[in-house]
Amino acid sequence: MHNIAVHQQSFPVQPAQRFLVFRDMAIIAAAFLALSLFTPLYWLTDFAVMCILVLSFDLLYGYMGHLSFGHMLYFGAGAYMASLALLHLAPNPFLAILAGLVCGAALSAVVGFVVVRTSGAAFALVNLAFNQIGYWLALSGLQDYTHGEDGLPSSVEALWFLDFRQAPVAFGFMLVCLLLVFWLLKTLTASPYGIVVRSIKENEDRVKFLGYNTFRYKWLTFVISSTLAAFAGSLYALVKGFVAPSDVNPLENTRIIFSVLIGGAGNLYGALVGSVAFEMISNLLATTIARWEMILGLMLLALVFWFRRGITGYAYQLYLDRSYERLVKFAQGMGLSLRRQK
Amino acid sequence: MPDLISTSKLSKSFGGLVAVNRVDFQVPEGQVAGVIGPNGSGKTTLFNLLSGYFRPTAGSVRFLGKEVTDQPPYARVGMGMARTFQLVSVFNSLSVWENLVLSSFHRRQQGSRLGSFFFKPAREASTLADCRQALETVRLQDKAGVFTSELSYGDKRMLEIAIALSLQPKLLLLDEPLAGLSDHEIGEVLQLLHEVKDNFTLVIIEHKISKITDLVQRLSVMNEGSLICEGEPGAVLCDPNVRECYWGRETDAC
Repeated sequence: MHNIAVHQQSFPVQPAQRFLVFRDMAIIAAAFLALSLFTPLYWLTDFAVMCILVLSFDLLYGYMGHLSFGHMLYFGAGAYMASLALLHLAPNPFLAILAGLVCGAALSAVVGFVVVRTSGAAFALVNLAFNQIGYWLALSGLQDYTHGEDGLPSSVEALWFLDFRQAPVAFGFMLVCLLLVFWLLKTLTASPYGIVVRSIKENEDRVKFLGYNTFRYKWLTFVISSTLAAFAGSLYALVKGFVAPSDVNPLENTRIIFSVLIGGAGNLYGALVGSVAFEMISNLLATTIARWEMILGLMLLALVFWFRRGITGYAYQLYLDRSYERLVKFAQGMGLSLRRQK
Repeated sequence: MPDLISTSKLSKSFGGLVAVNRVDFQVPEGQVAGVIGPNGSGKTTLFNLLSGYFRPTAGSVRFLGKEVTDQPPYARVGMGMARTFQLVSVFNSLSVWENLVLSSFHRRQQGSRLGSFFFKPAREASTLADCRQALETVRLQDKAGVFTSELSYGDKRMLEIAIALSLQPKLLLLDEPLAGLSDHEIGEVLQLLHEVKDNFTLVIIEHKISKITDLVQRLSVMNEGSLICEGEPGAVLCDPNVRECYWGRETDAC
């Protein structure tokens, strides 16, 4: 059926090089360390936590195409559960993180069963509704546990060298957690599972006709994403030693969505660049301009009109265009003319 | 030969419109069956009922001797059914080889290989070898690394067929595989179908009847939701009812 020449040609796609993820992790660590030269460490600690939260959101929105206005619910649930574990069980940081993770996973497993049946605007709004319920519970429904508006203070005991009151230790710990989350998401999104998720974004029905129960994968993705958000929440509780209803406030979802849009959705680097950029901007502007949110509004307009794919998407396009131009010039030098292939 | 797939009084209505009306349709194992009919006669709706995209209003579907009327599409794919769509349906945001990962993985994943499904890269030697093999059957291996959105319509059609073939189905449903293709591309698709048709049972919807008369062993004609004629292609095309609904009254006798 085929001639031998076909088999002798090399296939244009080569197996992935698995060390690349470690190179990227080294780059992320180096970037954070470089930032620490001129940025306060407690800022960077917050940035790392925010990065985890935004990365978790990127799996749901950027990769699977499900925009949620209720991601803060899981962040808040993780934060509250970690604080409660610190207060009532033991002041052990790892126990608190475990409690936050279990809480996020259990909550999203139940809620996911409902929300994953919807998509598009309905998905965003049903999630917002659940987030609003969670906000109310933190504020008054579960006041006996959450202390309502007063918030919930907690303290962690130092474990060996792990003392969260020391800024470098807290920063180092959050950075390691961020790298772990990055490794996990990078591995998942490069796997066949990642292709299922990206395929669901484009055409869910078609995925069913390849033999996949898409409901199960959407649910699973929702749970993974939410559990990682709860992980970020429990880390937040450890660093701050205080959780308040504002940490479950549905309005805070705009921060996450903004960060992903600024950085560029659907690639993990975008989530990282976006959340660092957003946190930098909001931290710096808030101290200088009273109504700094206005600048954010203008930035959103600019994003929608000119930079749909965010900073990383724009940079990548620039890279492609430049390298293409260079190739054309080189070819012209060789007496060839190159046209972009259809 | 036992029937690989059969329907009994299968009906589907959308509001007042009866798209498929009490259809009894059987395809014996190993046969190549064609379904023809004017636009809006219910051919694609019949396919959607066979493949599980729609639930029927009444009637039942049996596949491999089992009742599958209430089975979702992915369960039917698991049993060995594959289909293509009238409007070519591939994943434009993925690269060409990535389009083949899910189908080849579905076939291999009969055991419990969850670890490799979640934690091994899709771009790994054994998966790529599968994708390459599937692409070679449609001669698209050189374009494996290209984004699918950059392929021509004909190449996308070939890719869609390659995806369906890589599921190694027992039953393949092709919905107008020749629509929108140039004569050259039609030749390529037909040649491919002739090459692979012995590996499975094939049901094909097509408007270009003359192109598929060599391929199909049996032809079914639908009109206004009902099956009006079935049999050998030559005989069916000479049937006066068929000629009337397809070409109108003013046609030469057979």
